[in-house]
Amino acid sequence: MRLLLIEDEKKVAEFVARGLRAERFAVDVSNDGQNGWEMASTYNYDLILLDLMLPGLSGTEVLKRIRRQSTQTPILVLTARAGTGEKVEHFESGADDYLTKPFAFAELLVRVKALLRRGANDRPNVLRVGDLEVDRLTQQVRRAGKRIELTSKEYGLLEYLVANAGRVLSRTMIIEHVWDESFEGLTNIVDVYVRHLRSKVDVMHPCKLIRTVRGVGYCVSDEPTP
Amino acid sequence: MNARSIRFQLVGWYAGLLIAVFLLLGTLMYAGLKLYLEESLSQAQLRRARQIAETLLANVEKTGEAHVVSEINSWFAPETNDRFIRITRGDGSVLYVSSSPKDASFDAAQVPPLRNAGQESAWRKETAAGKSLLIATVPWQSADGRRFLVEVGVSLDPVRAVLHRLILLLVLGLAAMVAVAVAGGYLLVGKALGPVEKMTQSAEQITLHNLRERLPIAQTGDELERLSISLNHMIARLEDAFQQNRRFIADASHEMRTPLTIMRGELESIVDAAPFASQVQETAASVLEEVERLARIVEGLFAISRLEAGEAQKEYRRFDLAELATSTTEQMCLLAEDKEIALSCTAPRPVMVEGDRARLKQVVVNLLDNAIKYTAQGGKVGLTVTVRDGKAILEVADNGMGIPAEARPHIFERFFRVDKARSREAGGAGLGLSIVKSICAAHGGQVDFQSQEGVGSCFKVELPLADVQNRKLEINHGT
Repeated sequence: MRLLLIEDEKKVAEFVARGLRAERFAVDVSNDGQNGWEMASTYNYDLILLDLMLPGLSGTEVLKRIRRQSTQTPILVLTARAGTGEKVEHFESGADDYLTKPFAFAELLVRVKALLRRGANDRPNVLRVGDLEVDRLTQQVRRAGKRIELTSKEYGLLEYLVANAGRVLSRTMIIEHVWDESFEGLTNIVDVYVRHLRSKVDVMHPCKLIRTVRGVGYCVSDEPTP
Repeated sequence: MNARSIRFQLVGWYAGLLIAVFLLLGTLMYAGLKLYLEESLSQAQLRRARQIAETLLANVEKTGEAHVVSEINSWFAPETNDRFIRITRGDGSVLYVSSSPKDASFDAAQVPPLRNAGQESAWRKETAAGKSLLIATVPWQSADGRRFLVEVGVSLDPVRAVLHRLILLLVLGLAAMVAVAVAGGYLLVGKALGPVEKMTQSAEQITLHNLRERLPIAQTGDELERLSISLNHMIARLEDAFQQNRRFIADASHEMRTPLTIMRGELESIVDAAPFASQVQETAASVLEEVERLARIVEGLFAISRLEAGEAQKEYRRFDLAELATSTTEQMCLLAEDKEIALSCTAPRPVMVEGDRARLKQVVVNLLDNAIKYTAQGGKVGLTVTVRDGKAILEVADNGMGIPAEARPHIFERFFRVDKARSREAGGAGLGLSIVKSICAAHGGQVDFQSQEGVGSCFKVELPLADVQNRKLEINHGT
């Protein structure tokens, strides 16, 4: 998979590229609009990450040009602008998804993977961590073959944790993904839900899958804790 | 009526001045008339006294005193003319005195004699048995050297009567004039101050959210027009200042996003990467938490500045506030359950409002979160959505700790915390309620609260209803 990152803030570009490369993506980085547009029109990328505030050619203009060329390449827009009105505007001019700065890298990764999966139906229906199974189609959860009843929010939380198994997710990321923007700042709601989830998923089992990472958040993993 | 209003004061001064001028004039008039009347009366008496002296007493040595008496009676008939005539000899004995007049306006026998009469004619006032007289005296020396004193007097009652009538007239005139002056002044001042009243009313309507509006210009060409124009200039400057303030907050929060993104990304990669020492990872995690909080504050400030600039309106849609309340309560019930708080939602019928659903959801979330946060274990939190007085009402009531009286005026201010240590621990930025207020104001509504320490608080959000249909609903349900 080859991705293009058009982002003028070098440090942002650096950590995003580093993170994506760690996920085994090939990442090309362009630091201005004109160059980015040239690269986008020259090579065939699987996905383009586009910052809107660019020197040279504005991100909006790049977006329009790429779409005029009618490439099917999914575009994920990164921006410091947060208005919903602008969001709609960019969806209309061809953005496939939208991420507001400051974003969590895990969130970026989730979106990137979702956009890459789009069309190609290789998204696994059943997620597994250890003896825990999450079926995305039926929304059923089993642990060691035994069914666990979850409320819809509990399921949403578990699915997000399991889909990012092995990765530490902060409370803010969890809120942004599982709840909605209205709940921003209500980090204790995550703790309460995780506690409930644990009582259903982990309490009867010697191997605790849902782990608290002190100071950060939570992580689902079946690797033995150090 | 307000005793300190300009209208009251102007009319008061106006009436007071008129009364003072009128009193001065009346006093002068009264004194002048009195002087004139007494003067002319005394002149007439003096003339008569001289007449008696010159015509009758001049020949007394020839005609004898008895003649004088009969002459006076026949010439002057003092009794029928209500006159007092007395002639006294030089040794003080009375030559003649008229008897009391027919109208009994005085008693002639009671009139005291004149002491130490001078050589000049004069007049004086004399009181006899409660009656006032004006008496003119003329001293006379006959050819044979005998001295006489002729006194002619009349009752002062007619003069008094005229003066009394004048006082009556003056009092009535004063009353009428004061009445007219007060009424006229009240109307005139009212008319002049009319534009002020209008300006006051429109000035009250102007808040942070409609600074674009202006006061009506009183097109009178007078000071009021100038006042309204300069007030409008002031509002324009205010608008400018607020806009700059808003732009600053928007720009600042915007500019902070990129460094925050970098910090967040770099810290996440440290936290995520295993090979670091756990000490480093823990520190990075703690910094990451703070970065996220900073990001939330920036987000909150940006949201407030956008709301205050009225930019949110583009996303308005119709939706059911009751449904929003019910679903949000469901999403938050676990938070309440965790503290064994009974969370209830009473929203029996749809209440349609127009607005940004996500923003109004934030209002519900923030209010419920606060209520749960500040209510002790085992308490109660209730959410109700109703229609009252043509408005959608959303209330969040709890029986928690309440808000201390000294904190009440500040709780909607940015970065204000009632209990600083406590809420910082809970990760609050102190923006929750000011965001609630901004959202409500941006939707043309308002938020208010009542609180009693130790008893509980109740936050009330008022929003305009979406359409007339809703108002009909309200009438049908008779709320």
